[in-house]
Amino acid sequence: MLMRTQSRSSTIASETGGIALQNLQKRYGAFTAVDQVSLSVAPGEFISLLGPSGSGKTTTLMMIAGFEMPSSGKVLVDGKDITYLPPHRRELGVIFQNYALFPHMTTAENVAYPLRMRGMAKAEIETRVRRILDQVHLGALASRYPHQMSGGQQQRVAIARALVFDPPVLLLDEPLGALDRKLREHLRNEIKTLHKEVAKTMIYVTHDQDEALAMSDRVAVMHEGQIRQVSAPQDIYRRPEDLFVAGFVGEVNLVPVKLSSGSIVGPAGENLSAAQCPKGDGDATLCVRPENLHIETATREVSAGIKGHITGTTFVGDATIFELRTEAGLHLTSKVLNITQPKTLPAVGDACIATWHPQDATVLTK
Amino acid sequence: MAGTVISSAVDHSAVVQASSSVRPTRWAWLLLPGTIFLVVLFIVPLAGLLLLSFGVPDWSLANYLRIGDSPAYFIVLRNTLEISLAVTALAFVLGYPIAYALTTGGAGLRTFLLIAVVLPYFTSVLARTFAWVVLLGRNGVVNEILLQLGLTSQPLALLYNRAGVIIGMTHIVMPLMILPMFTVMSGIDKKLLRAARANGASPLAAFLTVFLPLSLPGLIAGILLVFIYCLGFYITPALMGGVSDITITMEISSQVTEQLNWNFASALSVVLLVAVLAILWMGSRFFPIEQLLGFSSGEANSGTASNRQLGTQYLMRIGSAVNKLDRWLPSLGGRSVPILAGVLATLLLLPVLIVAYLSFSDSSYFVFPLPGYSLRNYENYLSDALWIRATFTSIRIALLAAGMATVLGSMLAFGLARGAIPGRGAMVALVLSPIIMPTIIVAVATYFLLAWWGLQGTELGLALGHTVHAIPYVVVIVVANVRNLNPAYERAARSLGAGPWATFRTIIAPLVMPALVVASFFAFLSSFDDVVYVLFLGIGRITTLPMRMWEGIRQDISPTIAAVATLQMTLALIIVVVGELLRRKKHS
Ligand SMILES: Nc1ncnc2c1ncn2[C@@H]1O[C@H](COP(=O)(O)OP(=O)(O)O)[C@@H](O)[C@H]1O
Ligand SMILES: [Mg+2]
Repeated sequence: MLMRTQSRSSTIASETGGIALQNLQKRYGAFTAVDQVSLSVAPGEFISLLGPSGSGKTTTLMMIAGFEMPSSGKVLVDGKDITYLPPHRRELGVIFQNYALFPHMTTAENVAYPLRMRGMAKAEIETRVRRILDQVHLGALASRYPHQMSGGQQQRVAIARALVFDPPVLLLDEPLGALDRKLREHLRNEIKTLHKEVAKTMIYVTHDQDEALAMSDRVAVMHEGQIRQVSAPQDIYRRPEDLFVAGFVGEVNLVPVKLSSGSIVGPAGENLSAAQCPKGDGDATLCVRPENLHIETATREVSAGIKGHITGTTFVGDATIFELRTEAGLHLTSKVLNITQPKTLPAVGDACIATWHPQDATVLTK
Repeated sequence: MAGTVISSAVDHSAVVQASSSVRPTRWAWLLLPGTIFLVVLFIVPLAGLLLLSFGVPDWSLANYLRIGDSPAYFIVLRNTLEISLAVTALAFVLGYPIAYALTTGGAGLRTFLLIAVVLPYFTSVLARTFAWVVLLGRNGVVNEILLQLGLTSQPLALLYNRAGVIIGMTHIVMPLMILPMFTVMSGIDKKLLRAARANGASPLAAFLTVFLPLSLPGLIAGILLVFIYCLGFYITPALMGGVSDITITMEISSQVTEQLNWNFASALSVVLLVAVLAILWMGSRFFPIEQLLGFSSGEANSGTASNRQLGTQYLMRIGSAVNKLDRWLPSLGGRSVPILAGVLATLLLLPVLIVAYLSFSDSSYFVFPLPGYSLRNYENYLSDALWIRATFTSIRIALLAAGMATVLGSMLAFGLARGAIPGRGAMVALVLSPIIMPTIIVAVATYFLLAWWGLQGTELGLALGHTVHAIPYVVVIVVANVRNLNPAYERAARSLGAGPWATFRTIIAPLVMPALVVASFFAFLSSFDDVVYVLFLGIGRITTLPMRMWEGIRQDISPTIAAVATLQMTLALIIVVVGELLRRKKHS
């Protein structure tokens, strides 16, 4: 709902705005905030940098924007090295956390700012500002000051200000961070729609996995300054390549296993199965999501699974969470959707077997 | 010394929630003693001044007409204005880089700058003026250095002329200029500068279009405070000016103490007072002055936005033009501002340090560099009965004043913070006025009143005058602290079975005590360093330490004064450090 389709820019912009980060590194003294980050972003792509607080997302984004100098490595935009170009000559749109709207300027003045800095003629500035403000439905609030507007309105001003000079790339640093939950979800959709309409490359920093998964073409998960995995949201969730990624995105059951000559041996010697399993022998971890962990009451004989008994059930509205303890003392969680009135759900104390489809399980050696 | 107030406002910006519709609480009774005190010893004297200026009981405008008629007084007014404008402009130009670097610089630089601003500030004006007298004299340190470097063949006349006054005054008002600017600048979100850069502004354009307009209230406040301070400044012009640099304060003093023409002195004082009030009124349209002093009024900033609009527009145009030139302008380099600020701050600190250095001389007159080190100046001070007696007089008076000011001021602070009285703004103005009004006017007015009561020339009378001046410091420090004192603590104590007195003893007193101690220290210091009140209220009868220094500087400039000034600075340093430690302890 945010933007009317901009036919002009949607055809042009998708050919520019490719970004490449090559071995980017940022050290603060002995501490490495960003460690050998390499990443290619296609023109028009929506990519998220997802990671816990302190993982180096903002630092990475600020190196792209030109506010931090990398200790080593390069930043390329459309093949051009901009690593040492000052920020005001980079032509990248940035949306800051808490928006950084200029408090002494009205909405219209804020949005006109980048055009004035580019020395554009007054009449041209006025038309452009009016057009973009109409697009974000802020035409009526042109003469308001930032402190007279709601969080959602401020965000639109920030978007309008970053888009008005038609940069090929938008960099967003936790733009929804300061808002309440309902508004976040609403604006999340607006930004996604916006992305489809303006077809600009977007690099979106967030620590909120739901946001990253819902909005992005690809997600880059960061931890301790490194990118641990870059994949489409489904793959991040279904095929984590890294224990950190598995644990950070969504809930996960971690089962310590041993690999020996092609078979996966569980904690109590069970024979387990997983579709994604590396070659080789040794200690490893099997990951399976709670919603993929099925509970069979122990009456039926099941070939592959882990025996245990139910230690707790929690009703959470759309689902019921079962906690079980295996014979080897492992705690597992199973999530069962309350789709229909349950017939015979196990109760606390019941013996059971936890099973999964092999394609829902991944074994990681890291 | 208004710096006590401002530097404490640096940390505590918003203070008290004003509620006009709410009925006064019982806390409001605490306002009574302090208000009565200020009315009797501040408002009544000023009213008396006004009456005297009209020649009461025979009402006439003769005194004002005399100011208008005589070219001599026109020159006095012009001198005052010229010196004040020059000093304000100079202090602004030199102070801005320091304030800017104080906000944006690295941690090490910021600490150094803060010390360089705060330390001279808490050193008494008299000690700092003395430093300049020593530095700029015919055989002073500056001439000594110039001669030795061969930059000049004979000593330059730097003292007892316009240049000397302007140099000395500028140095003394610098902190007063820097601290309000710094207060406002440090409230600016640094991300806004990044946003400007991301939107295509060069560093200079970002500064002009974002930082400068947002720091404008602080600049205006600094400029106003300094200008007002200059108009009413007495000590430095009197000690460093030449015969042709008579300012209005010097004229007032001479009319009171030499010509004994109280009516005419009153008229001159009223002229000065009106000028100050007019400037304050204009300033308050741009910036709520009391907010700068640590009081916030709920609707701050709302009415002032439109006034700033115009300036912002101009800066926008300049910024946009500068941006076009960006590619051709030489890179200004990020280092030039910190380096400039560092140099300026060193200059700020240097006079004070040089006096301390000279105090350890083993020569009986000032020589630079020192021929040898000794403690003879300190020994001379300690063995001179007159100096020692003056010291004890100062201590007695300062203790008395600090005691009265702490009691009255802290009651006022609680009343203002918790009292919920109507007309709170006027109360705040009354309480803060004694440090904004030129000291000499208040001193002269009090002098007339005490003379009438027969208290003139007594230590009690002088302490009463000092108390008026010290109350604002106490109020600002304590109010900032009461803000941290959540009423929920007291309710919790009451709910747990503590009566009102037990609540006060176990909750309020321990929480407020550090602030009271700090406040009383600063009240003590403000009395201990004063010389203007003594000149009038103690006239010929009381010799305090600053009074002896004053006479010494006027007569023989003996090196003993360097020792006394150094001791005075050390005392100020100790008070600042102890105050800071108490503040830290409270926050940890
Ligand atoms: N100027 C700096 N000096 C020292 N360490 C810094 C600086 N800026 C960021 N860091 C450190 O770098 C790490 C990454 O920070 P940041 O990129 O802001 O993380 P994120 O945005 O993912 O929360 C953090 O541990 C942070 O403390
Ligand atoms: Mg961050």
